[in-house]
Amino acid sequence: MSLESFLFEALKIIFFPGFVFIFILALFYEWFDRKFYAKLQNRVGPLYAGPLGILQPLADFIKLLSKEDIVPKGVDKVLFTATPLFSLSLSIFATLLLPIFSVKGLLSFEGDLVIAVVLLTFLCIITFFAGVASYNRFSIIGAERSFLQLIGYEIPLMISVISVALNAQSVTISSIVSSQKGLWYILGPNILGFIVFIFAAQAELERIPFDLPEAEQELIAGWNIDYTGRRLAMFRLAKNIELVFLCGLAAALFLGGPLGPVVSGYEPILYTIYFIIKSIFVLAILTIVRALFARLRIDQIVSLSWKYLLPLAIIQFLIVRLMI
Amino acid sequence: MATFDIPIGPQHPALPEPLLLKLEVEGETVVGVDFDVSYMHRGIEKLLETKTYFQGLPLVERICGICNAAHGLCYTLNVEKLYDKEIPPRAQYLRLIVEELSRIHSHLLWLGVAAFEIGFNTMFMYTWRDREYVMDMLEAITGNRVTTEYSQIGGVRRDISPELADKLLKTMNVVEERTKYYIKVALTEPTIAKRTQGVGYLSPEDAKSTCSVGPIIRASGIKFDIRADDPYAAHEEVPFNVITYDSCDVFGRVVVRAQELLECVNMIRYALKNLPSGPFRIKLPMKPNAGEALTRVEAPRGELLHYTLCEGTPKPYRYKVRTPTLANLGALRAMLTSKGRYVVNIGDVPIIYGSIDPCICCTARVQFIDIKKDKTWTWTLDEIRNRSRRMRV
Amino acid sequence: MEISITFSYNTVFDCEVDDIMSMLSELLRNLFKKRATVLYPEERDKVHVPEGYRGKLEFYREKCIGCTLCYQVCPSYTIEIVVDEKGKRPVFNLARCTYCGQCEDICPTKSIHLTKQFEVISLDKKDLVVK
Repeated sequence: MSLESFLFEALKIIFFPGFVFIFILALFYEWFDRKFYAKLQNRVGPLYAGPLGILQPLADFIKLLSKEDIVPKGVDKVLFTATPLFSLSLSIFATLLLPIFSVKGLLSFEGDLVIAVVLLTFLCIITFFAGVASYNRFSIIGAERSFLQLIGYEIPLMISVISVALNAQSVTISSIVSSQKGLWYILGPNILGFIVFIFAAQAELERIPFDLPEAEQELIAGWNIDYTGRRLAMFRLAKNIELVFLCGLAAALFLGGPLGPVVSGYEPILYTIYFIIKSIFVLAILTIVRALFARLRIDQIVSLSWKYLLPLAIIQFLIVRLMI
Repeated sequence: MATFDIPIGPQHPALPEPLLLKLEVEGETVVGVDFDVSYMHRGIEKLLETKTYFQGLPLVERICGICNAAHGLCYTLNVEKLYDKEIPPRAQYLRLIVEELSRIHSHLLWLGVAAFEIGFNTMFMYTWRDREYVMDMLEAITGNRVTTEYSQIGGVRRDISPELADKLLKTMNVVEERTKYYIKVALTEPTIAKRTQGVGYLSPEDAKSTCSVGPIIRASGIKFDIRADDPYAAHEEVPFNVITYDSCDVFGRVVVRAQELLECVNMIRYALKNLPSGPFRIKLPMKPNAGEALTRVEAPRGELLHYTLCEGTPKPYRYKVRTPTLANLGALRAMLTSKGRYVVNIGDVPIIYGSIDPCICCTARVQFIDIKKDKTWTWTLDEIRNRSRRMRV
Repeated sequence: MEISITFSYNTVFDCEVDDIMSMLSELLRNLFKKRATVLYPEERDKVHVPEGYRGKLEFYREKCIGCTLCYQVCPSYTIEIVVDEKGKRPVFNLARCTYCGQCEDICPTKSIHLTKQFEVISLDKKDLVVK
């Protein structure tokens, strides 16, 4: 590899569509989520930092970074330090798989969809370890709940992803995306899978109605109750990047990813714009779901997932199987 | 199975007020509960003894910000009993109007808080937004949003002009429309039904034996409403229904409170239409006659009880308040420790606690009880002073 | 550490689509509504204060007859009675005032008036004394 192409690749990883771009996108998505949620509730939302409060997530992030770093007595110090880092690095790694500026992601290899789904599960397991590492009653219950929730939503999520893969006859994200040149899968037979994916994503991101692991009114902050300062900032950023990842994955799997009408020569820019528009559409749906429901109880979530989401996902799978 | 304790409160996002719930938890289910309400002692009863009856009214309204109209009304009714004078009927009607307005705002506030406890933030924002209509009306009628101080000894503070009455009727139309929408949402929205039905069960027998009051006992199917049982301010003349519901759970309490909102709207309409003419206030002397008086008022949260002992001086010798939350704490224990089909999950604790519409700050009383020796005692002022000095050093 | 979970499947999840739809339509309607929030310090003129609001009080010395009734009903000892060239008169310390308005109600000559001004803030305690 020549020095120039090496530098080009390095710049891609660091700036676009690498770390810096993902960081900006994560903060922007959090802002959009908060602002849209506020609009739905007839409020104003973030307002003062930057135009329309667009810099508010950044301000929160910087504020958390500058706070005192507290390690409470009795915590497992190794896990307590490692889990925020793991959570951040895994979510960034997952986001690199997304096809943002072309049909292929920055990282693209045979079978990367499997890795993407596995990473989602890993993120949930890290949540569990983070809760157990801090020796607190609330965090232990929160960790327990995050695991129970995983039992509920993971299998429907996987089946809905598998049916997309079956439709495209591939487990590589880039080939799934390019197979949607004609018809997006949400318009194709995969509308049920999309619904299942939205609910499972909501559970993965721990948002209402599935925000039990950190239910404010019950467990104060749940699994992240002991984390302050830098560690909390990392967790929050990781959550936002996960939000970008899940919205992007839904866009890639069901909405044709970055595809759209293009002018030759400007493909990377147009692809990026299409990708952001589509994933923000998914984000808007996620926000409406957050505003629409009350929080469910843990047993209700598990029974909802097994009684409704799983059969829906299986029906989806059978439909796709019969069509091919 | 191993159990462990979870403390909820006195500082907790779901509890806006200082109460400690010590939950004994087995997995996710609650098997035992113990609570402590004495985190706040404001000495209002003692302070009232240092003020004349006329000076005491603004202080009484500050016992509880939300049911301030009920506290003020109870206080004035109680003091008027010492005077032996007839209060003009127009004042009675005006008192009823403001009391019912305050009930609307309290119930709307509660609906929002209950929605917040189950994580339904949108409903919380909407109800609190629509509560502003009522708050604006209270402000226009009485001159203040929260501490209204409308009911005065001898009548009410101000008259309602015809223009204001028109405006109030228009506001009532808006409130009725919004309330109907909330009833529809509360009855049909699947996640609300899921979180409230079969939760916080209180059987009618328990409701009676724990002496619960207000919407709690009415949601257990028992007709108990001071406005009907012991009418005080024009409640004999204004027709209304006592709303009861027999599901005995949090859902029933939502339904009772929501239906009561409509009932309040109708009462205000009737009272405005049939407002008697005449004076709205009579002047009473500073010194009431010696004697005792006890008054009960149906506050938004339930039965409110005021007692005074007067020795013929302008200041009370003793003033005693019993708030509805104190009466409902026994019911709360019964709800949280129910077994079998209605066993309580940790996730249900906030909404069950919220369903009694708690107001701990107006509840705290000081009494020392040694459970092991079965002994109770109180401290004298000097003892308290000595202890506080020691703490300060 | 022992983690144990119990479930109670006592209820069945059943919902109808139009129940969710009524809330959804309300949400979307509110999306295009004007916000309910008043950005208070910036939009000060939008704050609606009705007639008869109990705000900062005004005192008219020429009407006062020095009956000290306001002093007797004041619950928070806001009022101090002083003697000037015309006789007894009250001095109000607004830092103590609870804005109950009892002095306005009881004044026989209407020499006390509670205005609509609700911002009673000052960096100097002396500005809060109404003479």
